[in-house]
Amino acid sequence: MKVLLLMYQDERAMQKMSREDFGRIYGAFQAYVEALNKAGVLLGNHGLQPTAQAKSVRKDAVLDGPFAETKEQLAGYFLLEVPDMEAALGWAKRVPTAQWGTVEVRPVWT
Amino acid sequence: MQYLLLIYTNEDAMLSAPKEASSQTLAAYAAYTEAIKKSGAWVASHRLRPTSEATTVRNPNGKKNVLNGPFAETKEQLAGFYLIEVPDLDAALSWAARCPGAAHGSIEVRPIWTM
Repeated sequence: MKVLLLMYQDERAMQKMSREDFGRIYGAFQAYVEALNKAGVLLGNHGLQPTAQAKSVRKDAVLDGPFAETKEQLAGYFLLEVPDMEAALGWAKRVPTAQWGTVEVRPVWT
Repeated sequence: MQYLLLIYTNEDAMLSAPKEASSQTLAAYAAYTEAIKKSGAWVASHRLRPTSEATTVRNPNGKKNVLNGPFAETKEQLAGFYLIEVPDLDAALSWAARCPGAAHGSIEVRPIWTM
């Protein structure tokens, strides 16, 4: 079976972290990815840039910031390679669910 | 640049939609996915099974805490994801507990629709 592990954390606490703590967490993530790869279970993973970079699309409206509507639930995702945010928003507006739900657009860490 | 499009919808409304409306939606998604693939922008996409099948794992100080249901803490933000292939939910939950993010945040575990 395929499962998605979605990581949530207090982003402001992470950004205020000391360099030393940050280095420790970075090392822990590297070790975790190595363990997943060794077990042969990893299909893909990405870290997301902070929600300050997020946009949300509903019908034709583009809002700054992440998704913030508690009556809707995460239903799926598309990971795209496009030149810029404008191109990403163009595709976000065309997602069928943008007509009745919300599409959050998040740049991925490279 | 890579971007993740995260799709949010009212799940109860979707699950109670008439068959005709559901097949219209499926067809719209099939056309959309084909358009992205044709443009060369597509990297990956998946549809998630309902949140009634979600589990949330936290592991602060090695004290593992497994809750039924999706993530529901508004002070935390989505920071990333892992897509893994495992035999069952138990295996998924144990990988979730080992994720460094579980030590200082939450990991939502969502099974994926297979089409």
